[in-house]
Amino acid sequence: MDEFDDREIARLLRLKRYEQPPPGYFENFLHEFHRRQRDELLRQPIWRMCLERAHAFMLGLDVRSLTSYPAAVAAVLVCAAVISLKIYQQPETARVALQSPPAISTPVSAGEEWNLASPPVAPPILRMQPVRSFHESAQTHRAAPPRYVLDSVPVSYEPTFRF
Amino acid sequence: MSPLSGSKRSVAALALTFLSGGSLLFAQEQSATAISHQVKEIFERCSKAVVKIHGVDEHSEICGTGFFIDPTGTLYTAYTVGGEAGNFTIEFGGKKYPARQLLADIRSGTAMLKIDETTPALPIGKSEELEVAAPVVAVGYPLDLPETPNFGMIAGFDQKYLGRYFSMTHLRVNLPTQRGEAGAPLLNMKGEVVGIVVSSLENNSACYAVPIEAAEKIRSDFVRFGEARHGWIGGNVSKAPEPVDGSRAEMMQVMEDTPAARAGIKPGDILLQVGRKKVAQPEDVLDASFFITAGDNVPITVMRGNQKLTFHVQAELHPASKNVPMLSDGTRVPAAADANRSIPLKLESAAQTTP
Repeated sequence: MDEFDDREIARLLRLKRYEQPPPGYFENFLHEFHRRQRDELLRQPIWRMCLERAHAFMLGLDVRSLTSYPAAVAAVLVCAAVISLKIYQQPETARVALQSPPAISTPVSAGEEWNLASPPVAPPILRMQPVRSFHESAQTHRAAPPRYVLDSVPVSYEPTFRF
Repeated sequence: MSPLSGSKRSVAALALTFLSGGSLLFAQEQSATAISHQVKEIFERCSKAVVKIHGVDEHSEICGTGFFIDPTGTLYTAYTVGGEAGNFTIEFGGKKYPARQLLADIRSGTAMLKIDETTPALPIGKSEELEVAAPVVAVGYPLDLPETPNFGMIAGFDQKYLGRYFSMTHLRVNLPTQRGEAGAPLLNMKGEVVGIVVSSLENNSACYAVPIEAAEKIRSDFVRFGEARHGWIGGNVSKAPEPVDGSRAEMMQVMEDTPAARAGIKPGDILLQVGRKKVAQPEDVLDASFFITAGDNVPITVMRGNQKLTFHVQAELHPASKNVPMLSDGTRVPAAADANRSIPLKLESAAQTTP
């Protein structure tokens, strides 16, 4: 301040009075500030940044409190594993068909008298097992809600005009 | 009698207009009330024979609808309900009964179950008597709700949907349906069953029903042979360029060593009638052939040149029915039995117990 007298300062102020920042300077100021801050941070090597973040994360965790209950943590993990095995266990692959040769009745000849009131002929006794036991299936999916059936397309289908 | 003056005439005309308008409104209300009463009466009479079906398939428990057709506990349902599931339980009269599958037939889209009880039964009607816009009622079990009446009308008789041909003409019904109502009976206004609801249409606002005659055909096969016996004669049909005697269904191919070949039907013959069904288009052949039973003699009328000929063809088992189940040792079920895909998964005589 000693080098300038008041008149000199007044002259400089008069000169600066007409200086304006470029258009949009104040609007972009914050954005520009953050950009420069980021640039400044990124000048560090990546390994150092990772190290810093890992360090900050570990400090955030209360590791001691976790390690003081290893038995509880192990028990929770075992329970989760058992429950998930129970729910999502794969059903047994069952036998596809018969245990013994089927005994199939001889069809009634087409010429015989019959009507809807007459007793049905003995149906074939095919003790076919489904691909897997329905009982097992019911147990496996006990938690699932029932499926209310009404398809969007009829199942009846003919590929050609063959008859 | 002096004629009415102008003002009196206009007052009389106005009064007449009011009276006629009022009577029209009254008539409309009356007819709506009458329909409502009729639907209610059908529902109350028929719902006793409509049951809720529980089963278990390879994915989960399933629920659908079915209805008794005779007093010995036989019931019809849709194939999607009773075809590929097991462990069936029927909710009927406030109780649950174990049920067994008698027959399931994917070509007709129906299945037959049975419980060992005396039951009410619905009378069987004729879907052939239905016309477009005929009123119909369905009674089903939507979701986990109690039995529910639905009222609608016949919208059409379709042979195909989304490019797929049905095995027989299906009834398209403008009648709202919900999930769980597959297998519900479609009733005419006399309370007779004319169809079985098998699938929904866009937004569940309409549905497809199999004509009851298709289910009855399978049932009569079961009574006669213990299984469904779809027949065929061994021909391929295509569209003729010109109609002959009202038909454009031309025999394009007659396969060797088939009933059609043995009977003398030749390629180029124009089909006029198969069994009792008249044929006008190639599509009609599907409907006609569905009702052929293997082993039966089927009269087939054709035009050959200017000659009208009738052949009596003994139908054989449909090739689609020959996809027999495999045994555990990798062999097929004996061919002598002509076992077909319509053979039920379970035909055990003892009823299954509920879990």
